[in-house]
Amino acid sequence: MKILVAVKQVAALDEDFEFTPDGRDVDPDFLIRDLNEWDDFALEEAVKIKEASSTPVEVVALSVGPDGADEILRKCLAKGADRAVRVWDDAVAGSDPIAIARIIAAAVRREAPGLVFAGVQSSDQSYASTGIATAAFLDWPHAAVVSQLTYAPGAATAVFRRELEGGLLHEVEIPCPAVFTIQLGINTPRYASLRSIKQAAAKPIELMSPAELGLDSAQIGEAGSASRVRRMYVPEKGRAQLIEGNAAAQAARLAAIIREFKGEGA
Amino acid sequence: MSRADAVTRILFEAFPAAEVRLFYVLGYAAIAAFAYGAYVQVRKYRRGAALALDGGLARRLGDMAALVLTHRTIERRDPAAGRAHRLIFYGFALLFLGTATITLQYDILDPLFGVRFWQGGFYLIFSLVLDVAGVALVGGLIYMMYRRGWLRPPKLDYARPDRAPGDPDFDRPQYRREDWAFLWTLVVIGLTGYVLEAARLVWLQARPDVWDTRWWSPVGALLAESFRALGMTDHAGGTLRHGLWWFHGLIALLFIALIPATKVKHIFTAAASLMVRDPLAAQRLPRIPESQAQPGVRTITDFNWKQLLNLDACTKCGRCHEACPARAVGAPLSPRDVILSLREFARATLESGKIPQAAELDVHGKAPGQVAQETLWSCRTCMACVEICPVAVEHVPIIVQMRRKLVEDGAMDPLLTKTLQTIHKTGNSFGESKRKRAAWTKSLPFPVKDARKEPVDVLWFVGDYASFDPRNQKVTQTFATLLHEAGVDFGILYEAESNAGNDVRRVGEEGLYEVLANANVAALAGATFKTIVTTDPHSYNTIRNEYPDFGGTYRIQHYTTFLKQLFAEGRLRVTSPLSYRTTFHDPCHLGRFNQGYDAPRDILALLGCELVEMTRNRSNSFCCGAGGGRIWIPDPVGSEKPAQNRIKEAAAIPDLQVYVVSCPKDLTMFEDALKTTGNEGRFVVRELIELIREALPAPRAEEATA
Repeated sequence: MKILVAVKQVAALDEDFEFTPDGRDVDPDFLIRDLNEWDDFALEEAVKIKEASSTPVEVVALSVGPDGADEILRKCLAKGADRAVRVWDDAVAGSDPIAIARIIAAAVRREAPGLVFAGVQSSDQSYASTGIATAAFLDWPHAAVVSQLTYAPGAATAVFRRELEGGLLHEVEIPCPAVFTIQLGINTPRYASLRSIKQAAAKPIELMSPAELGLDSAQIGEAGSASRVRRMYVPEKGRAQLIEGNAAAQAARLAAIIREFKGEGA
Repeated sequence: MSRADAVTRILFEAFPAAEVRLFYVLGYAAIAAFAYGAYVQVRKYRRGAALALDGGLARRLGDMAALVLTHRTIERRDPAAGRAHRLIFYGFALLFLGTATITLQYDILDPLFGVRFWQGGFYLIFSLVLDVAGVALVGGLIYMMYRRGWLRPPKLDYARPDRAPGDPDFDRPQYRREDWAFLWTLVVIGLTGYVLEAARLVWLQARPDVWDTRWWSPVGALLAESFRALGMTDHAGGTLRHGLWWFHGLIALLFIALIPATKVKHIFTAAASLMVRDPLAAQRLPRIPESQAQPGVRTITDFNWKQLLNLDACTKCGRCHEACPARAVGAPLSPRDVILSLREFARATLESGKIPQAAELDVHGKAPGQVAQETLWSCRTCMACVEICPVAVEHVPIIVQMRRKLVEDGAMDPLLTKTLQTIHKTGNSFGESKRKRAAWTKSLPFPVKDARKEPVDVLWFVGDYASFDPRNQKVTQTFATLLHEAGVDFGILYEAESNAGNDVRRVGEEGLYEVLANANVAALAGATFKTIVTTDPHSYNTIRNEYPDFGGTYRIQHYTTFLKQLFAEGRLRVTSPLSYRTTFHDPCHLGRFNQGYDAPRDILALLGCELVEMTRNRSNSFCCGAGGGRIWIPDPVGSEKPAQNRIKEAAAIPDLQVYVVSCPKDLTMFEDALKTTGNEGRFVVRELIELIREALPAPRAEEATA
């Protein structure tokens, strides 16, 4: 039995960042990268199923990303993934979540896992659609925002719970194979010590190109995407100011501001 | 007067040959029991992991002998117990040597070579010396009984803070029984020795070689005179001597036989522990060898032989128990009980012929002999225990080694997990961007050199708290101003500096420490400088003592010694002396770790401040509670924090004005504790740097506008 966990290397803004010359993204020099927090929970859930199982379970961490994503795959290996697969070639750049999901679905067909886990969303772009779109490409049942999961490896169905508004819980049964997007708090992700990450560096990370998965260039990158980022920018801040001082001073300042607006000058 | 060579020790006089033979049989049996017991102990230590010691045997032997003979470590913070122990030690040692000398002549030199020296003047002087030694021994023992029975110092209470009443190993009454059995056995051996001597004198009063020299055994003679006055005949004396001879002899032999199995073995284990002592045990933690599959200590056999020996060296004197800040605030940790727990564990598992299965050797847990997670995480690695231990037990590396295993398993507070991940990601514990590390320089009216780009005299290693904590940033800026005004050519590493790793290492995250240490050593290698200066004692410790293991050996000073030097050179001058009534808190990593006790006090004197010491000062300074990564772990709600305990101590100083610190973490911890103990307004917590600034000329005009 195999569980495939789709993981993403997300980016957080560093201090005083700059945009790329085309204005559609942040300059990579100003990003701090890490494993997406939701994916950390998804991986932990898979490793927990593996550890509780009496039959062998293989956990495969898969990421669609450039070289740098090896870092998070090593973290996954350190936390208990058995194998790590990274899919990339430069043509993947510019893919939106739909194109990424198409790549993941192709990899899933090749790996043939019994379950696919993904995080509910990524912390940097928050589309919350990669996992669900993967299910759509596979034509598998899916469950979104799963906060508890009961699954015995090899079973025909899985039972999961979802939190609804008003403190309600939804308990649902779903046939497998299926795709689950995992919510924060479903478990407590383990700590990967630096030593275990270092040891994981000795394990191979399998690199695949979309072509090897049977995808052509029209299915990936901007060509294979349903959407395109036009620009990225910092919105103008609202202009509010606190006027200090006693009532008379505040009134005087207020009057001055009004005169300024009317163009009368101070 | 008798003939000189007739004057000698009466040994088996009037004993039937069968009794003499029986005594020898018993004597050899006792020695055999001792030898077997010693073998079992040594085998136990050898079941620990290997460890190669550096340094020559002769130097180690010399250092040990000096400590044992002077009792320097035993008398610290308990001079009365030290004096009593000295009496017992020297009394026992002389009596042992005396007895050994008798054996030497009687059983070896005389039968083999016909050499006799135990007679005449030599015998008489020795007799006198041994009689006095006996008085010392018994006197010391009686004081110890008085101490245990009546004085009852709290540190001798064996109740454990990490166990609850009712637990099988809560207050360990068997320890008390052993203590008393030990004292009584020695007292009885000593006293029966005197009565035996007196009985012998009465018995042989007709023999001038015995009776005329009796006052060379003054105590025995005094007793003999009393016995005679009470009407004891020489015949009765002979009978008493015969019975007592056996009684005294049998207890003494039993004592020898039982040495390896009882606390008496500290005679050997404590001495051996002192011999293998590491003077930097807490300051420089061990690396994990490449060959080691699992980091840290999981099973009892993961401890090295020296640590297993340490466990047996402990005499339960309670000094570490008393000094521990975690124990003082009710945390479930006593360094003494960590050691004693593990000792019981080692005894139960490693003294039998075969070592049990690995599963039974796990030292982590809550069963008797095991050490609980909460206990290990309560430690502040402040080194108070290691520093005061009279027999060189090294608790801190033992605790950190056990924590390394917990870290590997992820068994730690979620906030600590988060902090370690943050440090890995950003290189600092504040989760701030590397680029912001030097943000505090922006508001200074002068540029701070980038040591990566130009050579400097002084490379200032700023550290996390001084770089990112807003309150500490002000101190950091003030320190920069001091350096600038003194004309010091200094620079910093800007974003190339990472958390120094001192506390990460003490948490037990050795892999992350390696990353940080290597990054800083690489960054420092890219800079040209003469000396490193830091305001952070934690960074100071690890750079000074631990970076050499990572290929980075530097001249490094804490700012207190550096500024003291600037004052001495006249580059800083006090123009407006302060007259504050102050007290000074020694930071663990500056004081105990690196003996930086004097420079801050000298500077306070230069500033004109009055210094009133807290009771716990210098080597006995009381940790603020931030060490060992505890600054990243919340203290339990409702319990006293070490910093609060410390502030209350300072608050007892009448009219105290300023509580002076010289460590960024101290500033954070104590300003908080000042508020939470309700002492705000009574006195203030200030960095020494701020006091120095206040006593110097006001900043030059163009700088004042900053």
